Amino acid sequence: MQIREHLFPESVEQALALLVKEQGKARLIAGGTDLVVSIHEGKQPFEVLVDTARIPNLDGLELQDGGGRVRLGARVTMAQVERSAELARRATALAEGCAWVGGPQIRNRATLVGNVVSAQPAADAALPLIALDAVLLLRSPNAARELPIEQAYREGGGSTIDPAREMVTAILIRLHDREEASAYTRMMRRKALTLPVLGCAVRLRRAGQAVSEARIVIGPVAAIPLRLKKAEQLLCQGAYDARRVELAAEAAAAASAPRDSVFRGSAAYRKDMVQVMVQRTIQTAWSRLSAGGGGKP
Amino acid sequence: MKMIRIQVNGAWREGWARPGQTLLSFLRDELDCTEVKQGCGRGDCGSCSVILDGKLVDSCLVLALQAEGCSLLTAAGLGSRESLHPIQQAFLETGALQCGFCTPGMVLAAKALLDEQPRPDEEQIKRGLSGNLCRCTGYKKIIEAVQQASGQGRKS
Repeated sequence: MQIREHLFPESVEQALALLVKEQGKARLIAGGTDLVVSIHEGKQPFEVLVDTARIPNLDGLELQDGGGRVRLGARVTMAQVERSAELARRATALAEGCAWVGGPQIRNRATLVGNVVSAQPAADAALPLIALDAVLLLRSPNAARELPIEQAYREGGGSTIDPAREMVTAILIRLHDREEASAYTRMMRRKALTLPVLGCAVRLRRAGQAVSEARIVIGPVAAIPLRLKKAEQLLCQGAYDARRVELAAEAAAAASAPRDSVFRGSAAYRKDMVQVMVQRTIQTAWSRLSAGGGGKP
Repeated sequence: MKMIRIQVNGAWREGWARPGQTLLSFLRDELDCTEVKQGCGRGDCGSCSVILDGKLVDSCLVLALQAEGCSLLTAAGLGSRESLHPIQQAFLETGALQCGFCTPGMVLAAKALLDEQPRPDEEQIKRGLSGNLCRCTGYKKIIEAVQQASGQGRKS
């Protein structure tokens, strides 16, 4: 389908009005690193682009709540996150994940929100966002709502966000305090510009010598990023030690169902690797906690 | 179609852009900036790299209308035949090109890297150039060129 119009609304309201007017024939565009490829391929089911470039207040990383949380506007790029010292320290898994996306050219354009709404199960920014319990701020013509990021994914694959009438304006994440740390690790065939064989995001909260809260997210082993709740529970049952980490990692492998892939490797191999990756990522996050505290200086 | 203005290598240029047209196509077909190369056309190879408002981007993934009013640098704006940019000079001296197709993108990736990190180590150079593919050189001489351009040339 040819692109008929490329519009530059100057407010969220105008953008939403255009989406509604075009009745599904329009899409929002920000970085465009996925969307422009689909336009090249001519397979896109839309013919109008509604560009977010001139809508104010979508660019920044804004600390809120006395510095306890950050608001990432809808146009915030991978490069912005990768370069933020605050996020490297206090949303570590996210900064690490963003640094793996594409090459510098892609990271300068691709947005976090795009990574979430494209709903790919291996998305390097989305996996950490799930581990960080991110909340999406959504606007539709007559309403504004907050959506926990996990609810932005359809179980069978894809996003629950309606591109014909909704817009994600920002992502909110709580930053690590002294008792919290996170990590993102990635397994891949070369060290840059390649999709992951597996990616794993872990966030841990510590209470004394035990993990009191855990998030473990892995992809791509299902249609959407997979949160490993059983493994999270096992990790929180008693003092942290090597055996407990092993049990959690075994549960993680049992819960994941990767597919055979010519590019990413066989299902059997990747299931084994889920265990290795989960174990290592937990260890990395915990080592950051024991190395003198998590996020807070 | 829409008439747009873009500042290319310091000079304002005008041309007709259609919705959905890439910046790459606009630069090559409307403005005759054929130093910007089309490779994969999907953001994998970096041949079409330009520096747009200070940021390295793949011009095949930017739409022409998104670049309206922006300032853009291509390899042709980096230096001239009479007065080469130090990065271009280093590419020549180290023999960092063979067929030359990736070179206009590669020198811009090198510039974007050195603007941010004036003395990168080898890993940082590899990372800075990771969005640019070269199918001839094996990268070794390209990395040497960037080292030399950053004043870290190998003493022989």
